[in-house]
Amino acid sequence: MISSTVLIHPTTWFLMGAVLLPLLNKREKLKKTVLIGIPIIAFTLIHWLPDSFGQVSYLGFDLVFGRVDQLTRVFLHVFTIMAIIGCIYGLHVKETGQHIAAFLYVGGSLGVTLCGDYLTLFIFWELMAFASTFLVWYRKKRRSIDAGFRYLLVHTAGGLVLLAGIFLRYKNVHDLSFVQIATNGATFADYLIMIGFMLNAAVPPIHAWLPDAYPEASVTGAVFMCAFTTKTAVYVLARGFPGFEALAILGAIMTVYGVGYAAIENDARRILAYHIVSQVGYMVCGIGIGTAMAVNGAISHAYAHIIYKALLFMGAGAVLEMTGTSKLNELGGLYKRMPLAMIFTVIGGISISGFPLTSGFVSKSMIIAAAGESHRIGLLLMMTLAAVGTFLSVGIKLPYFIWFGKDSGVKAKDAPWNMNLAMGIAAFLCFFIGIYPEYLYKMLPFPVNYHPYTSYHLAETMQLLGFTGLGFFIMVKKLKPKPKMNLDLDWFYRKGARVFMRFASRPVLSSDSWINDVYRSIGLRLTMALAKAISWFDWEGIDWTIDGSARGVVEGGNRLRSLMTGKIQHYIGGALALTFIILILVMLV
Amino acid sequence: MLLRILNYLNEHSLMLKRIFFVFLALFVVFDFSAARHAPHFFGDSIIGFWSLFGLIGCLGLIIVFKGLSHVWLEKKEDYYDK
Repeated sequence: MISSTVLIHPTTWFLMGAVLLPLLNKREKLKKTVLIGIPIIAFTLIHWLPDSFGQVSYLGFDLVFGRVDQLTRVFLHVFTIMAIIGCIYGLHVKETGQHIAAFLYVGGSLGVTLCGDYLTLFIFWELMAFASTFLVWYRKKRRSIDAGFRYLLVHTAGGLVLLAGIFLRYKNVHDLSFVQIATNGATFADYLIMIGFMLNAAVPPIHAWLPDAYPEASVTGAVFMCAFTTKTAVYVLARGFPGFEALAILGAIMTVYGVGYAAIENDARRILAYHIVSQVGYMVCGIGIGTAMAVNGAISHAYAHIIYKALLFMGAGAVLEMTGTSKLNELGGLYKRMPLAMIFTVIGGISISGFPLTSGFVSKSMIIAAAGESHRIGLLLMMTLAAVGTFLSVGIKLPYFIWFGKDSGVKAKDAPWNMNLAMGIAAFLCFFIGIYPEYLYKMLPFPVNYHPYTSYHLAETMQLLGFTGLGFFIMVKKLKPKPKMNLDLDWFYRKGARVFMRFASRPVLSSDSWINDVYRSIGLRLTMALAKAISWFDWEGIDWTIDGSARGVVEGGNRLRSLMTGKIQHYIGGALALTFIILILVMLV
Repeated sequence: MLLRILNYLNEHSLMLKRIFFVFLALFVVFDFSAARHAPHFFGDSIIGFWSLFGLIGCLGLIIVFKGLSHVWLEKKEDYYDK
């Protein structure tokens, strides 16, 4: 009975896969079977989940590993589909460590989606942050190593804020269950939790980690990362904080902020990263508005967004993999050499812009319409402006300067079959959802009374998109990409930290040398006397009792040293095995 | 096959431009016939409002953010490495 509870949790399968993968290093075929098989098992499994499972009482806390309702189901559905697509896309990658990191990351994300209490949430939350850092590091460039460390530090800080909120909340209400928080009863603790969630949703001013880290991640790593971190944060916000005014306003600001930066950046993957900020803004805003239609819109937009954003990242990743660069100023005229990647990326581009018949059209408009129905005209206009900017930068600018424009003469050919297959599946889903929105709508938590294909909505969209296109061609010379980067708020911890260090180092240095002097004149003498006393005691009394155990420690240390192979994948494997064992123990006890 | 179509389109950019303008005109004409149920605010009842919004919004975004980038935000790529 207990073992079936463990096995029905999709995270278990990803953790098992992560343990299994390093053992299959030499057996390519089996490894690939596991890589594709486990996400497919997880996808099948989520249709059979009971409403509630895996309740564990541990140290007086009630942990809930499985709480399943309509909101959970729709996110699980898209997360597992995304895992399948991402694994197909990364099938050619030889480094097992990257696959392990991706599996742990997806497992963490599914764990967060399923958990019913804050403690379990926190554990899986940190697993995600930890595992995704490796997806950045596996790019193995100097810049990615640095970016990975910054990513990890920012997320650790966010995690601590979240943990502080959880502790304070426990102190206030003596209950850790993760449920909706009423807008009028929210305390300081709840706001801390919300800030922890908002950091992962990349809400300004705590968004800069995203455009900092994602463009430096490995090609397949970025595809996973763009789907899971921010959308898991959208899920927890939708679960805990619908109707909070701060989210509505910050979300609307996010949408415009993201597209603004996307319009001026040069690196294709950085443009796409800023677009995550913008698109997640729609979802955050929808959650903030809080009506049934707005929350429905936010969730359906998360669903559609995961697929088309992954498609865009896959397209940009394919270009990076094949040409070695993703900078627009070094690309151009690639349509002759990578026509398939071009078609897929353009499909992603028109989906994110919300062309009729694509997934963006049926999801984004729902949030905007919900803003209109709640008479939030300011939010409505900001989101519509962001839609204009989206089409400008991802719909036209990105494809234009990569595939058309001036031919750069960069050598390239179409990507491997598995990359194209993954992009094909994602592109198909973009159209499928756009043409049969009921498929998506019937998964949503609230009944849907919204019809995207009205003549007015079509007229509005076509005018917006058409005249944005006109605007682009008027200004195309101004938009010519340059090999530059733009400052963002990460300046404060990248440059500001150095200024702080320079100031701080002087007092620290002088006080340090003063303490040294004091120590040399007084402390040293004291220590010597103390040492003499202790050594006498040691010699006379303890030596022979301790000697035996000391020898034991030395031996144990040697054995441990032989375990430290210095290979990062072994460490992850080990850490994972340990986590897994603990998980099983907790479930069984 | 695919390449040939793309090459053909690339060589006939003037034709594409004309088609594009015809479509723009059609979108505005279509707006006359669109049924307006429950307009959310005054913009929803003006014909061609979203055309103007799209064009001005697009130009505005480019001017504001390119301007910001030009005078303040833009730095060399190795700015943080130094």
